[in-house]
Amino acid sequence: MTTLSAIIVDAASFAAWLFLVAVGLTLVFGVLRLLNIAHGAFYSVGAYAGVFAIGASASLGWGIALQLVAAIVAASLMGALIGLLIERSVLKRLYGYPEALVLIATYALFLILDDLTRMVSAGQSLYASQPRDGMGQITIGGLQYPVYDVALIGISLLVALAVWYTLERTRIGRCVTAVVFDSEISAAMGIHVGRIKTGTFIVGAVLGCLAGALTAPKIAVSPGLGVEVIVIAFAVVVVGGLGSIAGALLGAVIIGLARSLTAHLAPELEIFAVYLVMAGVLAFRPYGLLAPAEARRI
Amino acid sequence: MSGRRVDWTIVAILAIALVVTLSASFIPNWIRFLGQLAASTALASVGVMILLRAGLLSFGQSLFYFIGGYLVALLGKYGGTTDAFVVVVAAAAGAGLVAVALGFLLATYRGIFFSMLTLAVSMVMFGIATKVRLFGGSDGLNIGLMSYVGYRPRGVDAQWTGFVFCVWIWTAFGIATHVFLRSRFGRFLGAVADNEIRVEYLGFSVHRVIWVAYAIAGVLAGAGGALAGLTARHVDPQFAYWTTAGDFIFVVLLSGQASVLSPAFGAFLLEMLRSYASAWFPDQWQSVFGAMMLAIVLFLPAGLDHLIVLSGLALRKRVTPRPISLVQGSSS
Repeated sequence: MTTLSAIIVDAASFAAWLFLVAVGLTLVFGVLRLLNIAHGAFYSVGAYAGVFAIGASASLGWGIALQLVAAIVAASLMGALIGLLIERSVLKRLYGYPEALVLIATYALFLILDDLTRMVSAGQSLYASQPRDGMGQITIGGLQYPVYDVALIGISLLVALAVWYTLERTRIGRCVTAVVFDSEISAAMGIHVGRIKTGTFIVGAVLGCLAGALTAPKIAVSPGLGVEVIVIAFAVVVVGGLGSIAGALLGAVIIGLARSLTAHLAPELEIFAVYLVMAGVLAFRPYGLLAPAEARRI
Repeated sequence: MSGRRVDWTIVAILAIALVVTLSASFIPNWIRFLGQLAASTALASVGVMILLRAGLLSFGQSLFYFIGGYLVALLGKYGGTTDAFVVVVAAAAGAGLVAVALGFLLATYRGIFFSMLTLAVSMVMFGIATKVRLFGGSDGLNIGLMSYVGYRPRGVDAQWTGFVFCVWIWTAFGIATHVFLRSRFGRFLGAVADNEIRVEYLGFSVHRVIWVAYAIAGVLAGAGGALAGLTARHVDPQFAYWTTAGDFIFVVLLSGQASVLSPAFGAFLLEMLRSYASAWFPDQWQSVFGAMMLAIVLFLPAGLDHLIVLSGLALRKRVTPRPISLVQGSSS
């Protein structure tokens, strides 16, 4: 019984993290049609922004809530700034280039950003566990969990709701959906496609940084943590279907469950769990679970 | 190309190997060391180049580099084999076998799927390598001195022999790859990048073309990894890390894909850059590397060798053909 509840809570909390990490990636892919490897670096930039914001506000004597707000604001600002700079200066020139070149470009951006975080931290591991420690523990099914981890599940759902609402219920969201569907026709209909792309990339970068900032209290923030993130986020996005927000949610839940099941029942399989799920899904639905199959263009 | 005409690429490879071998005694030690590293990087990069000609970007050649390097170390440690020829052939064959098995699955995927799946496989290997005791954990394994068909050089001789050995292994694999690329089957790589459906309609299996290309790329990276292991006399999990695969991509991006020779120059340039960069700005290598990569993508996506091709054409005043590069067969 305790194992079951532990599996469920772990799965939910891991799935929440996966969704936070993957949602920006899939959004950017949907609109810009590029796989942004630098998303992993956004995550680590966000984590550092979070650590420094929490550290600074804690030394000012602010409460936990304010510390978290500071972390979120700092990460969002960093994300918006980096996103704007990168889209305007680099990616804008690469629209229409072959996939491989764009992939290399985002890889190069990853290396640069990753190195910047290394310089900022001087290669040290940093900690910002104050909010997580301060929020105490909660008992679920006979086991104790940090309140912070459980709260993240709620925050992740909130993010999902916000993204869904923006895309489905607002004018801008409908424009974005139109660009995803067919950017040429939407341009003909008077949508400023370039602006939508820039905006989406900024939102994607902010989401990546937010994921890092919200995870920062749980981990030792050290250089090079972005690599794993991009690989795993890609797995989530692929399982659900590239470019689909609902797919990212579904993929996060499935992979979260798989990881938590293997972690509790077959620990030696844990590092393969994510990839086994991905391989299994790709074998039967190469476009992912929720992406509509596309006709191949000759 | 008719059979009688001299193939200048092969002549050039042999000439380079001969000149380098004859002058090996006069080349300073550190350049010889760089040359050995460049030879190993070049071999793996040729594999990346082959796949790129088929329009596929592999982020996972580091996997085979790792397999090659570790096979050499494990053969020496547990198998007692120290003959350089034997271990290099074993490493290439071992990596090739893994590539055949993996390639069967991966050849179904294209574009970012191919790139990210190859990346995922190599990162899983990296994760395993840092944990398993057989592989020496994150410290890696040491490699002893090699013998060459009974000849056991020590000290300065060992360095000289190792250098010449690396050069000639590169030569052998380079010529073999060139012959492959020139063959009818090799020509299909470009056709696959251009239009897969047309290739299928002509009655050839695209899956098989990519599978074979992947296997060959695996063999080359395995041989490269073995040479790298022999050179550094140490292997560690970093061999499988994605930045190693990134190095190979950088080499191909820098040098272009005009011929088997291009990655050799690119690789040597990379090793030079790396050693100077580590002296001038030891902590910023990765950003410099990234910035160079970005600059090439933005301003010279066809690679440096395209400049040579272009200037050659300008001299002969011919119409510029499409460059062999990533730009060809752009997204449909």
